[in-house]
Amino acid sequence: MLFGCSVLISCEDFLEVGSPDYSINTDVVFGSDETAKSAMQGVYNQLAESSFSSGYTSSVTMLASLSAHEIESILVNDQTYREFEINEINPQNTGNFYLWSSAYNIIYMVNGILAGIDGSENLSPSVVDQIKGEALFIRAFSYFYLINLYGDVPLILSTSYEDNATMERIATSSIYDQILSDLESSLTLVSLEYNGGERTHVNRSVVMAFLARVHLFLENWDEAETYSNEIITSGNYELLDELNNVFLANSNEAIWQISPLGRGAISTHTYEGAIFVFHPVIAAITPVQLRESFVQGFNEQDLRFEDWIGFQSGRDDYYSFKYKIRYSTEPVSEYSMVMRLAEQYLIRSEARIMQGNFMGGIADLNRIKERAGIPVLGSSISNLNQEDLLMMVLEEREKELFTEWGHRWLDLKRKNLASLVLSESNEFWEDTDILFPIPEEERQKNNMLTQNPGY
Amino acid sequence: MKNNYSCHIYMALIIIGGILLFLSKAAHAATPTHPSLQQQQISGTVKDQEGVPIPGVNVIVSGSSTGTMSNLDGEYSIYASVGDTLVYSYIGFKTFIVQVTETFSGDITLHAAVDALDEVIINAGYYNTTKRERTGNISRVTAEEIELQPVTSPLQALQGRMAGVEVIPNGNIPGSASTIRIRGTNSLREEGNFPLYIIDGVPINSIPVDSNSNLTFNGGIDPLNTLNLSNIESIEILKDADATAIYGSRGANGVVLITTKKGISARNNIQIRAYTGYSEVPNRVDLLGTEEYLNVRRRAFENDDVEPTVGNAYDLLVWDANRYTDWQDVFFGGTSEVTDVTLSSSGGNKQTTFRLSGGYHAQGSVFIGDYNYRKISAGAQISHKTLNDKLSLNLSLNYGIDKNDLVGYLNMTTYAFELPPNAPSIFNPDGTLNWEDWQESSWSNPYEGFFNKSNTEVKNLITNLSLDYEIFNGLNLKTNLGYTNYDGDELVKRPQRSYNPENWDNIENRSGHLQNNRNSWIFEPQLIFNSEFLKGELSILLGATFQERTTRQISLYGEGYVTESLIGNLNAAENIRSVSYFNSEYRYNAVFGRIGYQWDNKYLLNLTGRRDGSSRFGANNRFANFGAIGAAWIFSEEAFMKKLFPVISFWKFRGSYGTTGNDQIGDYGYLDAYEATPGPGGLYPTQLSNPNFSWETNKKFEIATELSIFKNRIDLGISWYRNRSSDQLVGYPLPAITGFNSVQANLPATVENRGLEIELSTLNIQSKKFNWTTSLNISFPRNELVSYPGLEESSYANTYRVGEPLNIALLYSYQGMDPTTGEYTFVDVNEDGRYDYEDRQYAWDRGRQFFGGITNQIEYKQFSFQFLVDFVKQEGTLGLFNTGFIGNQRADVLDNDTDYQNISQSTSSRTAYNNVLNSNFPIVDASFLRLKTASLTYKLPNTLIQEIGFTSANIFINGQNLYTFTDYKGLDPESPYLGTGFTQLRSVTGGIQLNF
Repeated sequence: MLFGCSVLISCEDFLEVGSPDYSINTDVVFGSDETAKSAMQGVYNQLAESSFSSGYTSSVTMLASLSAHEIESILVNDQTYREFEINEINPQNTGNFYLWSSAYNIIYMVNGILAGIDGSENLSPSVVDQIKGEALFIRAFSYFYLINLYGDVPLILSTSYEDNATMERIATSSIYDQILSDLESSLTLVSLEYNGGERTHVNRSVVMAFLARVHLFLENWDEAETYSNEIITSGNYELLDELNNVFLANSNEAIWQISPLGRGAISTHTYEGAIFVFHPVIAAITPVQLRESFVQGFNEQDLRFEDWIGFQSGRDDYYSFKYKIRYSTEPVSEYSMVMRLAEQYLIRSEARIMQGNFMGGIADLNRIKERAGIPVLGSSISNLNQEDLLMMVLEEREKELFTEWGHRWLDLKRKNLASLVLSESNEFWEDTDILFPIPEEERQKNNMLTQNPGY
Repeated sequence: MKNNYSCHIYMALIIIGGILLFLSKAAHAATPTHPSLQQQQISGTVKDQEGVPIPGVNVIVSGSSTGTMSNLDGEYSIYASVGDTLVYSYIGFKTFIVQVTETFSGDITLHAAVDALDEVIINAGYYNTTKRERTGNISRVTAEEIELQPVTSPLQALQGRMAGVEVIPNGNIPGSASTIRIRGTNSLREEGNFPLYIIDGVPINSIPVDSNSNLTFNGGIDPLNTLNLSNIESIEILKDADATAIYGSRGANGVVLITTKKGISARNNIQIRAYTGYSEVPNRVDLLGTEEYLNVRRRAFENDDVEPTVGNAYDLLVWDANRYTDWQDVFFGGTSEVTDVTLSSSGGNKQTTFRLSGGYHAQGSVFIGDYNYRKISAGAQISHKTLNDKLSLNLSLNYGIDKNDLVGYLNMTTYAFELPPNAPSIFNPDGTLNWEDWQESSWSNPYEGFFNKSNTEVKNLITNLSLDYEIFNGLNLKTNLGYTNYDGDELVKRPQRSYNPENWDNIENRSGHLQNNRNSWIFEPQLIFNSEFLKGELSILLGATFQERTTRQISLYGEGYVTESLIGNLNAAENIRSVSYFNSEYRYNAVFGRIGYQWDNKYLLNLTGRRDGSSRFGANNRFANFGAIGAAWIFSEEAFMKKLFPVISFWKFRGSYGTTGNDQIGDYGYLDAYEATPGPGGLYPTQLSNPNFSWETNKKFEIATELSIFKNRIDLGISWYRNRSSDQLVGYPLPAITGFNSVQANLPATVENRGLEIELSTLNIQSKKFNWTTSLNISFPRNELVSYPGLEESSYANTYRVGEPLNIALLYSYQGMDPTTGEYTFVDVNEDGRYDYEDRQYAWDRGRQFFGGITNQIEYKQFSFQFLVDFVKQEGTLGLFNTGFIGNQRADVLDNDTDYQNISQSTSSRTAYNNVLNSNFPIVDASFLRLKTASLTYKLPNTLIQEIGFTSANIFINGQNLYTFTDYKGLDPESPYLGTGFTQLRSVTGGIQLNF
């Protein structure tokens, strides 16, 4: 009898174990406002760690700056980064794979959040709107870099791995449609102010600033001007006269920053500082330095040369010094900059010039030059044509935005200037080098993926 | 919908139980009662072959409940009638059966059981069997064979002793886990290949415990370390389907059953055993001396036509050209002491027996620095039976504490070969690390981190209470109640002075804290029914298992301690970070059963089965059935055989087929869940969830024959097996566009292990004064990946090949030297002009072609001598031929330098050297034959010791790894990669054993 009783006590129920303390079931996550917000905070935290957005060695900042010949690898025995520098990327390159896969990991996270809040009935509408708007923005942001680095890419909008594992590449134009649609929805959903007061959360200004950039890339000059104008005239942002303060946390120039505290480690400063700033004694542990040819383009009086470029006399080499802290045990004082006001001036300048408003364009350009302490363009330059002015804007973008999120590489690509410019410093340059290769490992696992030409 | 099928099973169980109850009553009623004859008192003495009285011998009248036990002088008396059968049984002796006649004196001589077929009880887990009756494959090692070995974990003592069992040490630090494989590798996942460990009926988590200390380089912490080898009665290893299917989903990789010693009634005894000795690394690799080394380096610069500079030739230009250090001696040339003391006491009476034991084991290290391993263990076994023999109870308790102090986190062995012989000293005269002399070199100091210390302390309790109630004759209700608690606590101190002062800006005093807790309970009610049925014996077992296991890990990291003395005191840390927090709960529920039937002592059938439920799988796949059939035919029992071949004393054919499973996959793998991000306040998904994955299944097939001739003086067993594992639970590779690189899923890949195992034992000489037995085991395993759909696209594409073993390395095919550059070249398979993974098509099998062991046991008068030789046929690689670069190399390379590429240190020659290490070029034969253990025991003469007051006393010496025969030029052929690793120490110990 004892035996009979004991086996009857429980059967199926006995095997029900709750989830462990360290995890929360997905339906619970999207069952309350607090946990749903935590899931979104998780995305921001992971942006600080995720390869493509972290600013570390496989980030857009690092790899696209190498490809645009702003920086060069100085590590002994390095192959991974040198391949970007010489524009001969092996499809098996690990850095390339990390960049690609981490962007899709972030896309998975936001798709999961979008699905989670859609299926939940317990969330308050304002929270749903805010989270949805932020998630849509992050998705658009991630795809923007994917198409600009790889061309056509698979468009993943759900979390079902069964469906997604065999996705084909989709035309860049269709993805731009998705980006615009996501951003426009986002604009109506997110709050006006920064959530929590820090400039790390997406608000309407962040979305508008990015819309300005996307329209610039799509050559929708009117929209690009409108959105950048809104930011510039909003009064919430200013060009800081002290260049050394631009990259500080929540600086007035910052539109959107990623907080390195999201990585969750002790003494976490920006990865950009960690990889760009030379170690005072052992320079060899720094992976990259600024290229001589890039540094030579600066005017001697340029404050950006003065403040944003460091010089290591022992090695006789230059390094990017926008972020000042390489390593420190002091509290975090710098955040990783994603978008800032200077870019908006340059967007509006370019958009105005392209629409024939040369004076307006020059005025914006001069704001940047003025701040850098270099001679502005006088009114006597009225004989300059649109082409010349455009080139001046591009040059200013190069000097202003170097080693920030691959601006130069993306500019060369959208203006079809890469072959012209980069073949000067790379005799083996080929036109097809403008796109990174689809990682070999991806193509092995998903044979629907085609390779970019030239690889 | 919920699956209620398992509940139905329980209902069925109860009905079966009811039927059984009825059956047994019927059987009972059918037993004929004896005619009541006049009983007489029989008295006598039981002695062994040498005439020594044996106390505690069970004497029973067969077929009745009458029984007694011999006293300390071997005397007994019992009432029996003429015509009754008396059965005398005692562990270690052949059971003696005699029919009472009018003239029967009562004096009996029992013969020692020398590998007797029936008398040695083999533990098959839920039931016992004998060598004669078993239908499955079970290997067994007893206490006497292993207890003198100075090893930490009992598994290490099994090397070479059992067919089909490979024990490969992962490291050379006491306490590190060995890899044990029973009939090969079944799972594609490295972590899915652990056997099931069961100690006194309680399952133990066999996964090595994590560590942040040096033990991580050595495979982690062995969870069996805290057991005392001296407390182990026997270790049985279950191998085939017949033996393992009753363990269902946990039996795929075999089962290791460890049984601890019990008390013996009427044999009160106190035993003290102590031994001590030392260990050392038995071998050195012959490397270049300073002058030869520097000559090679100079030639490299001449050949390359490069001017030596401080940057590229500090060994030539900066370091003392006359200095010589044997770095192998410096790094691992020490002598390690080992001490072991065990005290045990056992005894009892007919109703109650006990055994208590305590042990201390301490071991040092051959490395420099403060290494210290200490273990304290305690064991208790108490058995009690009610006067009517209806209810019995057995409590077994094993508790152990071990402390392992290690020099923290640096790998000591690799540098011993890399450093140039004229490299400067590691320490300054004041004992601090010497940074100054090393500053030009690429090593900042090879002992960077030397002052780091780790202290790992484990407390481990394994206990089981089993109750056995005889409902009526033939039907027993039995219950196991087991509990285990493993507590590991580790502190790693990393003071600043361990590191180069140049980096002190970035390096603070740090500490790492790690706590591991594993807790489990198990409840196993069982019904056991035995009866005669028709012309044979029927035994039925039905049982259920409820088990819960919780695991917890907390890892903290502190930094910013102001001084070294405060390290570890978290209150004094400036920053504390949680590195990991992990807990999990695993529940397991099963019903199992066995039906064994023996017909006419000739035909045996064994059916076993189990229905398992595990919380590791999603609701749709929580239950699965496993089962096996085993059968045997004792051919020698056939009448014609007895007539025709009287020389054959025993001949059996047996075979088994069945399925087992593997549920060794992390807990909660199916959950769709979020975890905390490392950064504050965030949650994120860390994996793709698949609620549908399930068990790996393993189908096992075996046929075997066992033959004994010349009255069991020669015993031969031959088994052939084929095990196929499929539904492999792997990270199914996915493109990263899905968000992750893989998802946990069952893949229709199949791994096959097949092989032949031969066991032979011979009784060479048996006489009153001289006994000599030999036993040999040899295994020929073969492992093959039979199928793997989609291998090319998976993350295993560059690891496995269909048709090859899992244990392959994919290498370049060496093609000879380039005549112009003098550098190594390889086959460029895809002819793309460069060497990459696509050219690594040479599949090299790193597994063992065959392995085995030979044990000899020789007894002459008061002496006994036992030795084990183990042997392995395999290949390995040999490195250390980097002619020209900074770093030492093997001396024999210079003798045959045409085999090696030009002395040079150009970039291309460095690339060629790196590639050649990944080619078939360095493959050499690494087979070996090793005198694994040898022990000599002298039993002091009785006349001498009994005056002092002992019942017996032995002195013994024991040697481990005394000599190795091999052509392999590396350090240790048991670690045959590049020649720079070692796992085996040579030890010599001596001691004394006293019995009171």
